[in-house]
Amino acid sequence: MKNQLKVLRAMRNWSQADLAEHLDVSRQAVNAIETGKYDPSLPLAFKISRLFALPIEEIFDDEFNGAHND
Amino acid sequence: MTNLTERIMTDADDMANNNGRRRMWMMFSGIGIVIMSGAITGILSQRGAKGDGPLTSPDVAILGLFAAVILVLAFVIWRLFQQTQQSGERVPRREKLNNRIIWGCGIFGGIIGLVLTLTDNMGTANEPSLFASGPISPVLAVILAGAIGVVLPAITFYWHKHVVDEQEDAAYRAGALIAIYAFWFIAPVWWFLWRGGILPSPNGVALYFMTAFIALIVWFWKKYR
Repeated sequence: MKNQLKVLRAMRNWSQADLAEHLDVSRQAVNAIETGKYDPSLPLAFKISRLFALPIEEIFDDEFNGAHND
Repeated sequence: MTNLTERIMTDADDMANNNGRRRMWMMFSGIGIVIMSGAITGILSQRGAKGDGPLTSPDVAILGLFAAVILVLAFVIWRLFQQTQQSGERVPRREKLNNRIIWGCGIFGGIIGLVLTLTDNMGTANEPSLFASGPISPVLAVILAGAIGVVLPAITFYWHKHVVDEQEDAAYRAGALIAIYAFWFIAPVWWFLWRGGILPSPNGVALYFMTAFIALIVWFWKKYR
């Protein structure tokens, strides 16, 4: 899943280790989320959302275009 | 301003990546020391079993080479450890705990490996240490069983409760899933091929290590790729 984590982190001048410390995860977890290799759980997504004071959908983009495949 | 910010951020992250590589090489060097120590005791015990006389010049040269490799590997570990300490990398709480437990388990596993290698080489076992099934003393058996059956589960419980985050947890689950499927498929395949006279009888120890190795590789790939 695409996300704005790296940009938001850069805006605060944080390293991956800094963000990992704020979220109480490992640096590898931050790296995996930033590069889209791992999608965070809902609780972690909310934690990220609160940390950056932004709605989840402004941080994460699931690339849903509104089309349904019923 | 943006460039400066990105440079600072990238430098810190690069530094952390370098330390990750350093820790990996320290681990490989430690394994190398255990293997070289096993090789030295193997050569010495083989000579002892054959009743050969004093060491010949080629023997001394080979043993000296192995000892030199051990010294080089020990120096590499010391230098890499120093570089890691000097880098001033900020390490998140979970990673600090993670590193301490990995170091502890590495030393613990290294001691067990060394004891088994020495025991096997001093005895009559001709198989590689991992697959050796020769007798060991009851005291050593109880100590090793206690280490694996009591100490390790306690460390593992603490590890999963306080160190592992959700990304690593997912990596563990992926590793466990693929490893159990591999076990379910490879064990009966081996069994059928044994019945057909194509392979030797299934080896439980080999299957155990294969399953553990697959789980470890997948976990490593998922966590660090």
